[in-house]
Amino acid sequence: MLDVSGLSVSYGMHVALAEAVLKVDRGEVVVLLGANGAGKSSLIKALAGLVRYVTGAHIRLGATDLTRLAPHQIVGAGLACVPEGRGVFGSLSVRENLTLGAYSATDHVRFRDRNELVLALFPKLKMRLRQSVQTMSGGEQQMVAIGRALMSGPVILLLDEPSLGLSPAASDELFAAIRRIADLGTGVLMVEQNARRSFAIADRAYLLENGAIVRSGNVNTFLDDRVLIRAYLGGD
Amino acid sequence: MELMFAGLALGGLYALLAMGLTLQYGVARILNLAYGIFVIAAAFGAYVAKVQLGISPIVALLFSLPLGFGLGWALYSLLLLPLVRRTRAGPQLDIDSLLATFGLMFVIEGALLWIFGGNFYSYSYLSHPVYIAGTPVEANRLVVILVALALTLLLHVGMNRTRLGLAVRAVEVDPATAVLAGIDARTISALVFGVGGAVVAVSGVIISMFLPFSVSMATEFLMKALLVVVMGGLGSISGCLLAGMTLGFGETIVARFIDPGLTLAVNFGLFIVVLSVRPAGIFGRTV
Repeated sequence: MLDVSGLSVSYGMHVALAEAVLKVDRGEVVVLLGANGAGKSSLIKALAGLVRYVTGAHIRLGATDLTRLAPHQIVGAGLACVPEGRGVFGSLSVRENLTLGAYSATDHVRFRDRNELVLALFPKLKMRLRQSVQTMSGGEQQMVAIGRALMSGPVILLLDEPSLGLSPAASDELFAAIRRIADLGTGVLMVEQNARRSFAIADRAYLLENGAIVRSGNVNTFLDDRVLIRAYLGGD
Repeated sequence: MELMFAGLALGGLYALLAMGLTLQYGVARILNLAYGIFVIAAAFGAYVAKVQLGISPIVALLFSLPLGFGLGWALYSLLLLPLVRRTRAGPQLDIDSLLATFGLMFVIEGALLWIFGGNFYSYSYLSHPVYIAGTPVEANRLVVILVALALTLLLHVGMNRTRLGLAVRAVEVDPATAVLAGIDARTISALVFGVGGAVVAVSGVIISMFLPFSVSMATEFLMKALLVVVMGGLGSISGCLLAGMTLGFGETIVARFIDPGLTLAVNFGLFIVVLSVRPAGIFGRTV
């Protein structure tokens, strides 16, 4: 569904991402692996239209050419993004955050369906619809952020470090929810520091080094590689 | 009683004035220094309509809404949007937009001075008294109070009960996240400048009904609006109403019982008291 090639991002002289090629389909969880500064966040931001990329890139979602769209139109085209550090409206309520997530979609019947879906995924939010998001815990805020993104009915969901700063228990809950989101038909592309946990729910992975994708494949092929395991998954 | 209506009228006017500015500044994040001179321009517009064309100020009030909206929208789209694009809404935008609106203020001020000169203008409209519970109140003050309260209510409901209002608050709270929700911050900013323009136009027409006005009062209105905005908490409609009423009543009481020359001192006195207790304003959020 999401089909990317020739995607490069530079900040001045520094090349953050060079000629990236990747694919994400509906229903799969794809992990972006790499050290700090390898270009993972640049890739996510470029896809969401939040950073400028070198012209000539090819980014298609189904039949839609995303390179022609403004950032706010990309959401409506079916690509939703939860940036690092949440992306919630802190002083607004949970309900308002979810309603805003559906801003690009105007279909009321589907709004109710999606709202039910989000509350089924994150039942904790049900009791807190009126609560202001900034008063919630990190894990709960991340649920709101992902719920907000799901409200637009995305084909592909981009997540940048969703487990950052969360307790192990909250991370487990989050990863289980991400797997369910994919099983319900949305493709998930996520950057994760917590490679071991994310590999447990992922289908495929890409490895980024110095702005280039150096390896890709089924997560099992990554788990077979001892060098990789030591470098990115910790231990052996 | 009479004092209460005077306070209500002045407070309502201040609240109204501040509402347009709080939307423009709070949501579009542009401090429009030409705000005050637009108010005066609208007052002159109503004056010309009444005195030379014989159009009732109430009719002018109705026409001023779409006209003000159009002007505000055009101001953002034609003058400010190119600056937003060029600076990519970075820190340079603050300086550029201040200079641009400051310059615009002088252009309009010059034009008004050239046409009308520096004298005070006024006309008489609905100045006969209406008796409410035995107290005589000038009818035009009642119009001021009603219009101010109606617009406050309208804006409050619009901001808090509609989808579009929610989008406006989203841009106010966090423009970066608003984009991720599929909201175009620039369209919302243009809209908000339009609404601000409509509020400016209504304020100007209302002022012309019950106060003598001159070109030189533009700065005073800008300053009062800014005072109320900061006191009420940036972006808060109810904050504008409360802070506007506080200033209106404070001024009226001091002018009546002590000395009219003290009004400015009262303004800033209240300002300092409120901000020392609540630094982000009455309904302000600490970000």
